[in-house]
Amino acid sequence: MTNTTTTPLSLATRLRGTPTARPSRDITSAPGLRAQIDDIVASSGLHPTNPLTLRSSSLRSSIRPLESSPLARLRGLLVTTALTLLVHDQHLTDPFEDTMSAWCSNQGEATLLAAFSAADADVQARLRADVRSHVSVLREHLGTFASSWRPQTGVRSVVMLSGGAFVLRDEVDLMVGSVVDANAALSLLDITTAPLGDTADQTLRYHALVQTLRSGVVPLRVALFSTATADCLIRDVDTALLQRAIDDLTTYLSTAAVAA
Amino acid sequence: MMLTQRRSTSEDLAVLISSAPELGAALDAEQRNSFSTRLRSVPTIQSRRLDAWLVEQAGQTGEAFCWRPRTARRLIGTAAAHRVQRDQRRAHEAVRDVIDDYLFRAVNGQAHFGSLGYWLSSLAPATLGLVVAEATNWCHLLLETREIVSASATLCQADTYYNVSAAQTTLRGRRDMVITETPQRVVIRVRHGTPGKSAGAGLRTDLVIDALGHPEGLSAGRFIGLWPDAGLALSVDGTMENLRAGARDIVRAAVVQRRGLLTVAA
Repeated sequence: MTNTTTTPLSLATRLRGTPTARPSRDITSAPGLRAQIDDIVASSGLHPTNPLTLRSSSLRSSIRPLESSPLARLRGLLVTTALTLLVHDQHLTDPFEDTMSAWCSNQGEATLLAAFSAADADVQARLRADVRSHVSVLREHLGTFASSWRPQTGVRSVVMLSGGAFVLRDEVDLMVGSVVDANAALSLLDITTAPLGDTADQTLRYHALVQTLRSGVVPLRVALFSTATADCLIRDVDTALLQRAIDDLTTYLSTAAVAA
Repeated sequence: MMLTQRRSTSEDLAVLISSAPELGAALDAEQRNSFSTRLRSVPTIQSRRLDAWLVEQAGQTGEAFCWRPRTARRLIGTAAAHRVQRDQRRAHEAVRDVIDDYLFRAVNGQAHFGSLGYWLSSLAPATLGLVVAEATNWCHLLLETREIVSASATLCQADTYYNVSAAQTTLRGRRDMVITETPQRVVIRVRHGTPGKSAGAGLRTDLVIDALGHPEGLSAGRFIGLWPDAGLALSVDGTMENLRAGARDIVRAAVVQRRGLLTVAA
């Protein structure tokens, strides 16, 4: 199932889909994928003493990011914090102030906070308006995630391959479902404050691959939602999608080898 | 000292649990006294707490502990997981119940300064919401990990604490689940992130503290560390060699910690 138009249903509904239509849990694909990556890594000459770490952002590094300033990063983090609060039924009185105070309570370092404090009043006001706008879109389209779906927010993954020569890092904003269900039930959602670009598909494939390698179970579907445009890209995960993710890694590694 | 690494899938973990050695080592009174003497030889003017985290950091104490949603998640989330199992409640409701209990105690003046209840009572609603979110995440992770590990795994009520009063030292051993249906106890610990180079030392530390905390000094047959973020499981067996190595690491961490404190004082 593929859809890139404005979301008619809530994200919760679309991520979970129809329980009766779900395929069986696939636990056989992960070892094969791992073996393929091991072969690719072996041919690329990587070694655990000098490991190569890959993130989903590295895959699209050839494209210049629209905004990479500290305040753009802060905006993204605040919208992600808002997602965390909304998924767990926390009412937001003021989307900016509430998410800011919640985010600050979990941080040890204050680089981004210092950047915000140092910014002039106009920039601060713009960020406030930005965050409120993005959270408003998110709140409108998110829907309700029942506790029985086991929603987990800010799920990080670190998958070490070929004895640690190649490391895949990833962070998914929301994961619902379980890997122990008899049917595929795990759905991943990533939120972006930028419009969905050409690399959205690649990002989704990367999330699906890392989750498969981490848990050994192929997820049901992956989704990327833009709070800038309210567009949502959803992909059901199958072997073809995972194979394309492997191709992405192959391309990346060959490019990295040429650059080195 | 063998450190076994497996993927944290149901199948791999089942093998890891069923193949645990049938006979774990046991610590006798003489060994306990010897360990206590070693700790007493590292003097301290205030009570100290040693755990696997300190050993993994080679005794280097970082920034002082402070409550954050992230540091509070395990305490609240684990208590909530017990309620989910006992009362068939939703994780989210169970977490809110646990927090309500802490807040109730704080309101009644039963929470001392610096405690979790005291800190929770000072939070704005949105920050409290993030505490709920982090604790619910942990609760879900713990329950799901239990299902992956084994249906016979029991969530631990509390960590292991062993007090060496003459050395003003409390040892804290982290544990999340225990399996007692195998011939030997198998203890499981769940951690976020990815195992580092000192993960084995951390596991051996928890193994020896678990044995010290056992009334008869019996070591677990196997101590398994799970890192769901990395999809990895590491394990150490309850051999005397591993217990000795764990004890040595604890004393070493205490020595380094003392040196660090002396340097700061100077």
